Amino acid sequence: MKDIHSEQKTYKFGMVIDLDKCTGCGACMVACMAENNVSFRADETDKLRSITWMRVYKMTNGLPFPDTEVCYIPRPCMHCEGSGHHRPAPCIAVCPATATDRDHETGIVSQIYTRCFGCRYCMAACPYHARYFNWWDPKWPKGMEKYLNPDVSPRMRGVVEKCSFCYHRFQRAKNKAYAEGRREIREDEYQTACAQACPAGAITFGDLNNPQHAVYKLKNSPNAFRILEKLGTNPKVYYLSTKEWVRRGVDHYLEEEAQD
Amino acid sequence: MKLDRRTFVQFSLGSAAGITLSPLPWKLTDDIAIWTQNWSWVPVPERGEVSSVNSVCNLCPGGCGITVRKVGDRCTKIEGRHGYPVNNGSICILGESGLQLLYGPWRIPSPLRRAGKRGEGIWEKISWEDAITQVVQKLRALRQKGESHKVACISGPNSGTVSQLFARFLKAYGSPNFVQMASGRDTEELAMGLMHGTASPVAYDLEHASFILSFGSGLIEGWGSPVRVIKAHSIWRTRNLKERATVVQIEPRLSRTAAKADNWYPVRPGTEAALALGLAHVIVKESLYEHRFIDNYTFGFEDWTDSSGGNHIGFKRLVLTKYAPEAVSQVTGLPPRKIIDLARKFAKAKRPLATWGRGKGSRQGSLYECMAVHALNALVGNINREGGICPQPEVSTRTWPEVEQDEIARSGFGMPRLDGAGTDRYLHVKYLPERLPQAINEQQAGAVQALLVHEANPYYTMLDSTAVAEAFERIPFVVSFSTYLDETAQHADIILPNHHCLERWEDFHTPIGLQKPILALLRPVVPPQFDTRHAGDVIINIAKRLGGSVAKAFPWKDYETLLKWTMGDKWNTLEKRGFVQEANYKPPAWEEAFKTSSGKFEFYVKALERQGASQPQDIRCLPHYKTVEPEGDHANYPLTLIPAESIRLANGAIGNPPFCTKALPDTVLKGNDLFVEINPKTASNYGLSEGDSIILETPKARAKVLVHLFEGIMPEVIAIPSGLGHTAYDEFLAHKGVNANKLMGVVEDPVSGLSATWGARARIIKV
Amino acid sequence: MDSALIPEGVKRCSFKKFAIWIGVLTIPTLWGIYAALLCWGKALNQTNLNDNFPFGFWIVADLGVIALGAGAFFTGFLRYILKIEELKNIVNFAVVIGVICYASALGILGIDVGQPLRGWFIFWHANVHSMLTEVAFCITCYFMVLCIEYVPLVLENRRIDAYRFFHFLSHRFHQAMPAIAAIGVFLSFFHQGSLGGVPGVLYGRPFAYRSGFLVWPWTFFLFILSAIACGPCFTLLITWITEKITRKQLVKKSVKETLAKIAGWLLASYIVLKIIDTIYWASSTAPRVGINFKSFYANQPYGIWVLITEVGILGIIPAIILITKQGRSNSALLILASFLNCAGIFMNRWIMTVQTLAVPVMPFDKFASYHPNWQEWATTLLPVWIGAMVISLSYRYLPIFPQERELNPA
Ligand SMILES: Nc1nc2c(c(=O)[nH]1)N[C@H]1C(S)=C(S)[C@@H](COP(=O)(O)OP(=O)(O)OC[C@H]3O[C@@H](n4cnc5c(=O)[nH]c(N)nc54)[C@H](O)[C@@H]3O)O[C@H]1N2
Ligand SMILES: Nc1nc2c(c(=O)[nH]1)N[C@H]1C(S)=C(S)[C@@H](COP(=O)(O)OP(=O)(O)OC[C@H]3O[C@@H](n4cnc5c(=O)[nH]c(N)nc54)[C@H](O)[C@@H]3O)O[C@H]1N2
Ligand code: SF4
Ligand code: SF4
Ligand code: SF4
Ligand code: SF4
Ligand code: SF4
Ligand SMILES: [Mo]
Repeated sequence: MKDIHSEQKTYKFGMVIDLDKCTGCGACMVACMAENNVSFRADETDKLRSITWMRVYKMTNGLPFPDTEVCYIPRPCMHCEGSGHHRPAPCIAVCPATATDRDHETGIVSQIYTRCFGCRYCMAACPYHARYFNWWDPKWPKGMEKYLNPDVSPRMRGVVEKCSFCYHRFQRAKNKAYAEGRREIREDEYQTACAQACPAGAITFGDLNNPQHAVYKLKNSPNAFRILEKLGTNPKVYYLSTKEWVRRGVDHYLEEEAQD
Repeated sequence: MKLDRRTFVQFSLGSAAGITLSPLPWKLTDDIAIWTQNWSWVPVPERGEVSSVNSVCNLCPGGCGITVRKVGDRCTKIEGRHGYPVNNGSICILGESGLQLLYGPWRIPSPLRRAGKRGEGIWEKISWEDAITQVVQKLRALRQKGESHKVACISGPNSGTVSQLFARFLKAYGSPNFVQMASGRDTEELAMGLMHGTASPVAYDLEHASFILSFGSGLIEGWGSPVRVIKAHSIWRTRNLKERATVVQIEPRLSRTAAKADNWYPVRPGTEAALALGLAHVIVKESLYEHRFIDNYTFGFEDWTDSSGGNHIGFKRLVLTKYAPEAVSQVTGLPPRKIIDLARKFAKAKRPLATWGRGKGSRQGSLYECMAVHALNALVGNINREGGICPQPEVSTRTWPEVEQDEIARSGFGMPRLDGAGTDRYLHVKYLPERLPQAINEQQAGAVQALLVHEANPYYTMLDSTAVAEAFERIPFVVSFSTYLDETAQHADIILPNHHCLERWEDFHTPIGLQKPILALLRPVVPPQFDTRHAGDVIINIAKRLGGSVAKAFPWKDYETLLKWTMGDKWNTLEKRGFVQEANYKPPAWEEAFKTSSGKFEFYVKALERQGASQPQDIRCLPHYKTVEPEGDHANYPLTLIPAESIRLANGAIGNPPFCTKALPDTVLKGNDLFVEINPKTASNYGLSEGDSIILETPKARAKVLVHLFEGIMPEVIAIPSGLGHTAYDEFLAHKGVNANKLMGVVEDPVSGLSATWGARARIIKV
Repeated sequence: MDSALIPEGVKRCSFKKFAIWIGVLTIPTLWGIYAALLCWGKALNQTNLNDNFPFGFWIVADLGVIALGAGAFFTGFLRYILKIEELKNIVNFAVVIGVICYASALGILGIDVGQPLRGWFIFWHANVHSMLTEVAFCITCYFMVLCIEYVPLVLENRRIDAYRFFHFLSHRFHQAMPAIAAIGVFLSFFHQGSLGGVPGVLYGRPFAYRSGFLVWPWTFFLFILSAIACGPCFTLLITWITEKITRKQLVKKSVKETLAKIAGWLLASYIVLKIIDTIYWASSTAPRVGINFKSFYANQPYGIWVLITEVGILGIIPAIILITKQGRSNSALLILASFLNCAGIFMNRWIMTVQTLAVPVMPFDKFASYHPNWQEWATTLLPVWIGAMVISLSYRYLPIFPQERELNPA
């Protein structure tokens, strides 16, 4: 049977984040909030109820002063590929209402806020804590709703939200390309808000399948790795680090397992 | 009866079945679901025509180029401007949050007059006409009483001309008391003026350096022009392994910069100068210095004899005799081996560079420490050349006509400055803002009768907040030009709100630390959202209404006219392109570089001979180490408190916007309680564990905080996040945490009078 | 006053006493309703749930209550399909308990989901790969089956039965019962299993994840087995409580022992399989993703005691009591074993839900713990009070216990 989508160009968008460069500055977190109309509250200190599609984690090597080392790990949604049709991303597999799915054109793991009914099974499934629930009605102080981006709908309470790889930017780029009679969008036409903002240039975004794109080469670097790779979630977000303890610190190893 | 009941039952069952099978419940169910998807209280952003406008961000000294995305007449996003020489498309967390400042509830909607007690927050809205009239009447009365010198102005403008307008106003009006807020550049300007002969901040060629030795500079915490420095940091990390730059961080705490550095050398807080001189010792002793530069273009390296035959010791002898690794090790706590090793690596690197300025570089600091670090740069000869330092250049603009003062102005302007800057005691400095509160509090008669505050928030950012509050109490008339309801505005009598930086024209000069001069233009991206006015227009208007020579000093119709006039032939480019850059600027060669009396780089600063101080003359003129002791004795205050600065937390005049506060980790704030960092070893001495409540006390103040155990902080040292503890603004910022400035007093640098505070002595009590 | 409604030949307390009893139950019921209204009105910030614990007490209660409710379908299965005639004396009560359990589960879910008003999207936009979809379909269908099983009980009320139409209808229902029971059994096996699949398929959560057979993780089968092992015990437990409250014997000891014996052997086999499953998981499934299973128990309160308690104290002990004749013939021991068995199920469901979420998966993530707040307690206990009312009403007005007249002659 012919694939009904074969007419369409398909991509596999992904990210490579260089942890040697990442300074933990948090610009990506806020760029994401500003781009995607993420709400905020007076007290956001309970990080278990604070919506940050992009969250910068801090990992330490566990050694005492003065041998302590710290690494910052920015964590968007990994847009897990899983392993094929029978084992898609952990969250996709479980959502009873098909409110989250893999977009066949881009590989992006979508989230339909208006379909999600807030059962939160997807959150239980995601090992990366990439999914956030709206515990409150989102509210903007009077006047502040003026800065809201019309390309991204604000969410209502009771639904789950997460990083979309700024999907609306893909749509914008695609519309532009089509209007100009092109089938393919250029690498620089579709960049995520976090990658664009990052002062360190630590985040590279592009089509993992396209050898012309920077991410293609970077993900094949000997220093490239993914978080919790052994689980088989098959994330589309890769990391780079020259430090052994960092590369090892993001997954589980049995004592007898040799250093890589 | 029985029949009735049966009918009833049948009817009920029948209608139940009927309703279920009809479309009604299904339609209703669907409608209810749709309703939940369209709640009226969830905003639907309006659509509109999309456009973008370029401007410059002045929320910090970074001066990044920004592109504001607009939908209709709304700004929806601030992004870094592509191709802009400072930041080329990138942006920092604060700049990214700028729209929250523009549209936030902390904006001041119109001119306000205090209606309750000071600081009570009860305001009366008044018209611009009324507001300006009241200020003019007050200023006129003071001038008529011959008390014009009792008007002071604190400014922290984000660009040359507006701040200069305030300075000019005071000059024309008749007061010497124009002060700019403190920053690290004050000390750099002084050190550069003395050693180099050019009183400019230091510009660093970070991008080309191959070995960066940072004396506590928060290179990725907002030091210098924050985005530019982080970009340089990435360059250091990108070059191939052989070319990769080495970064060494000297700091008692594993800051982000230390964490990202190749080596972290914790030293006891405040001993950085000793380490710099210890490194100099090794470099000199092993003859690793740049002989061509030292031999030909420096003064005071070797011992020398003056014209009257007096013998003086040079830098070489000083470091060789007093700063041997063992001695320096005693002071800093760093093993001698490491000192020797570091000195060799630094001197042998291709393009070594030492940076000065703790944290974000927003505090002043010790002059000799700054000189000691620059002596290191001189030793390796990286002055005015690739990968080195030079005095920061500026794009020149048209000079304003001289102010013609009338008699009152002349006599008022001639009075001594309250802060003492420029007097024999503080010969080389322009402003001593941190001395101001003390000066006000010490004088019995109201030394300041009126205070104008522009683009600064001294009530919050100055050290020793209690003294600052007292000084405010002693000033009967405070006028704030703030855009936001910050602490200073909260304690003002009249607020003349300025436009937000996205609503106004303004010039922005070379961001701190850049070697290629840039002149840039802020432009109104949106019309004013509130009944605000440009501070430049307001001060011009006030001058004109005062009349006479004051009015004459301001021959421009309004600020925009003045700005165009000042920018001269550069205006057209500025308006079209947004900036003018002298991309080919190169600092002068060593032959022409130094404007000191010797015409050379001075290790031995002759200009300091005249400075009355307790030190023997030779020591006084040479970079040396002398502890800057914070208040309090060691027995009562056995611990040391240092501020921890973070790029995620604005600690200057701008309050931290909600997005930035949201991005703070949960090891900084919990509810409204602030965490301080303590080494687990120190904590265990006090029986403390994670999250415990303690009282932190310094000679200045006490505060209740929570314990965060962190292996990355030196034992016996406590770090307190800087930038919280606001009392003004709104529910998103006010009353969260503790203001670090409250806990630290001003420690005067003995030679310059600048504030050399780097921390405080402290003790903790478990509660 | 309501004597006309009370089954013939049995004694009931005075209406006044009954009204007071119902009144007493109303108080915590109102408390629960208030908590539910808070959750609906002010959203789920009213709970202690958070992004680390998207599932909490409610989901545990759901899983638990559905397992306990398994007494209904399983007794039906034994009675109508395996034709163990003796069990007709308890099957009615098992059905009442089942209805309450399943209604509770649905009710709690209605509070638990963030957007209850579009909860039906689970049917409309069903994702057939999701265990939860399977659960939702089966539970809903099975709840309807339970209602159909409950209806003939209601029709047996003296006044209703007086209508010829209803008398006739009741008769028809009884005839159809084996078929209905068969449908119920089929549905139940599936959703009990799917509930086990809910944690078992979470391959991103190594604590819960299990390999399995075709699309079903081992937990699928363990949940079925544990549910049918504890459901009958729950029926016995509630019967015992009802007997204590009414101060009457309602079901013959032999009936109870038959049920207990079956439950005991099921529990014993469950525990054996659970131990095999645990060993396989600890020695093979977890190490395959680099995890030493001991690290799952590295944080208190989720230490290794959890495993020992669940499998040992709440599994092996009641199993031994129930499968030995001496054990189950001692009423006190029988009740103790039933209680331990039910508690074991709850603990298992708690562990599979809450501990699964508590164990950090990213090694640099922090451990967080969770406990329900009063709103969660109030809403979760709400079905207990309503259930008590339903049982009270059913007992008072319906001939639930066929042996009551015989055991309590007037
Ligand atoms: N680390 C760090 N870096 C900083 C800062 C900091 O706090 N910390 N501050 C930053 C900030 S906020 C700014 S605004 C910049 C400041 O940068 P600038 O605005 O460049 O500040 P100045 O060096 O004072 O230069 C003002 C210019 O105005 C000229 N000038 C003086 N009087 C007049 C006059 O009457 N007419 C005219 N036409 N020109 C006059 C001076 O000669 C000088 O060229 O530096 C930034 N750099
Ligand atoms: N002698 C002399 N004195 C001067 C001047 C001078 O030219 N000469 N310049 C004056 C001028 S122009 C000014 S404006 C004042 C400066 O006075 P202030 O306005 O007080 O400026 P800073 O203290 O440098 O504060 C800027 C603040 O921005 C915040 N910040 C910086 N980067 C970031 C970031 O990435 N994220 C977050 N969240 N926050 C960040 C930090 O809190 C930093 O302290 O100094 C004045 N002082
Ligand atoms: S913006 Fe870049 S440097 Fe900053 S935290 Fe994010 S990835 Fe790291
Ligand atoms: S990271 Fe989590 S939310 Fe994102 S695709 Fe993977 S499982 Fe789903
Ligand atoms: S919370 Fe929403 S997206 Fe997640 S599983 Fe449930 S319905 Fe799907
Ligand atoms: S890709 Fe877009 S949605 Fe995802 S974290 Fe980055 S900015 Fe946010
Ligand atoms: S670094 Fe400073 S100037 Fe640049 S965007 Fe950030 S706040 Fe604005
Ligand atoms: Mo400024």
